[in-house]
Amino acid sequence: MVIAALICFAILLVAWIVAPDGRAKPAPVAAEAEAEREAVPVAA
Amino acid sequence: MPEINAGDTAWVLTSTALVMLMTPGLALFYGGLVRRKNVLSTIMHSFFILGLVSVTWVLWGYTLAFGPDTGLGLIGGLDWLALEGVTGAPSEVYATTTPHLAFMAFQMMFAIITPALISGAFAERKRFKAFVLFAVAWSTFVYAPIAHWVWSPDGWLFALGVLDFAGGTVVHLSSGIAALVAALFIGRRTGLVEPATEPHDVPMTVLGAGLLWFGWFGFNAGSALGANGLAANAFVTTNTAAAMAAITWVTISWLHKGTPSVLGAAIGAVAGLVAITPAAGFVTPAASILIGLGVGTVCYGAAQLRLRARVDDALDVFAVHGVGGAFGAVATGIFATTAVNAAGFDGLLNGNPGQLVTQLIGVGVVGIYSAGMTAAILFLVNLVTPIRVAGDVEETGLDLAQHGEIAYQP
Repeated sequence: MVIAALICFAILLVAWIVAPDGRAKPAPVAAEAEAEREAVPVAA
Repeated sequence: MPEINAGDTAWVLTSTALVMLMTPGLALFYGGLVRRKNVLSTIMHSFFILGLVSVTWVLWGYTLAFGPDTGLGLIGGLDWLALEGVTGAPSEVYATTTPHLAFMAFQMMFAIITPALISGAFAERKRFKAFVLFAVAWSTFVYAPIAHWVWSPDGWLFALGVLDFAGGTVVHLSSGIAALVAALFIGRRTGLVEPATEPHDVPMTVLGAGLLWFGWFGFNAGSALGANGLAANAFVTTNTAAAMAAITWVTISWLHKGTPSVLGAAIGAVAGLVAITPAAGFVTPAASILIGLGVGTVCYGAAQLRLRARVDDALDVFAVHGVGGAFGAVATGIFATTAVNAAGFDGLLNGNPGQLVTQLIGVGVVGIYSAGMTAAILFLVNLVTPIRVAGDVEETGLDLAQHGEIAYQP
């Protein structure tokens, strides 16, 4: 059981090393909010 | 055979929960101090470590720090790997009136918050991935050995007579020195203008400081490892030193800059809590007033010097935890009295100048070891994956670029 627990953690450690490094694009929710704001007519 | 005491067990488990709350409190304390575009990443560094070190501590951290010594007083063996043999029965060595698992969990919370403290030094420009690897290595190769040296009965600094009631050297000095090394290693934030970046949310920082102050009662009074008079003494000295340091910091900044700073009250309180940590169970309430006054003054000066030195320790981790931890360790050598704790030693003012020398040795050894090992770990992690984000990522902000989220909707 101890070995299995250590292996589980080792798998996570490898995953962290190979995982993609973030995202440069705006998050969808932020982009949507920005689009909605731009869509509102100035007169409104 | 040790027997479990219900009151002691209840207090240690309650204190464990109190100390756990300090790490989310630290996340808010740090989160308020950074710019809007980096608040989530700053909070994440503390919150992720709450999960990360909880697991590594169970797997190997606890046995390295508190396991039976390997022979030289330097590190624990692997007898308790993944908590094999650590059960609900009391340990024969640690907190002998509580379940061994309760003591382990209490110590786990200290191991969690220590690398989280370092995160403030290189905030707003470090890569999450690199920080995760750094935290695993640092808690294994820096925190665990130092905890063993100072708190294991077989540890060599413990044998030397170094007094550290709740982690002035083990937690605060080690992380404060590491913070300075990290800030120097990663370099200044780009486009930084003086005065250093304004906090984006002071109420968040004050809330974080309040949670830290609250949790610190578990940190220090819990370190008595029993529901007894020593815990009460540590509780009172902790509150008194925090209070004195807060009002001292505010007063000095008021005289220096013309206004009584709210942020100064929050940071001053934390400095007081740091300094009383090694002393809480060895000094009287009256001494804690002097410790609070002293650390409020010294840490305020250190923060001003840091600005002039142009070292971008973003959230003043060295000035508060490094300097405050060292100050508290030295103050313990001055004010300690066996009238408070018969298991300790008298300090300079009680006829034992040698204790001050011992404390200085402890500060020097822990500081040098933490500095050297932190530099080595940062160097190696940087070989695996760059520690610093690219310039455009730093400009965009780590929340969006590293985590794909933002704290506040437009």
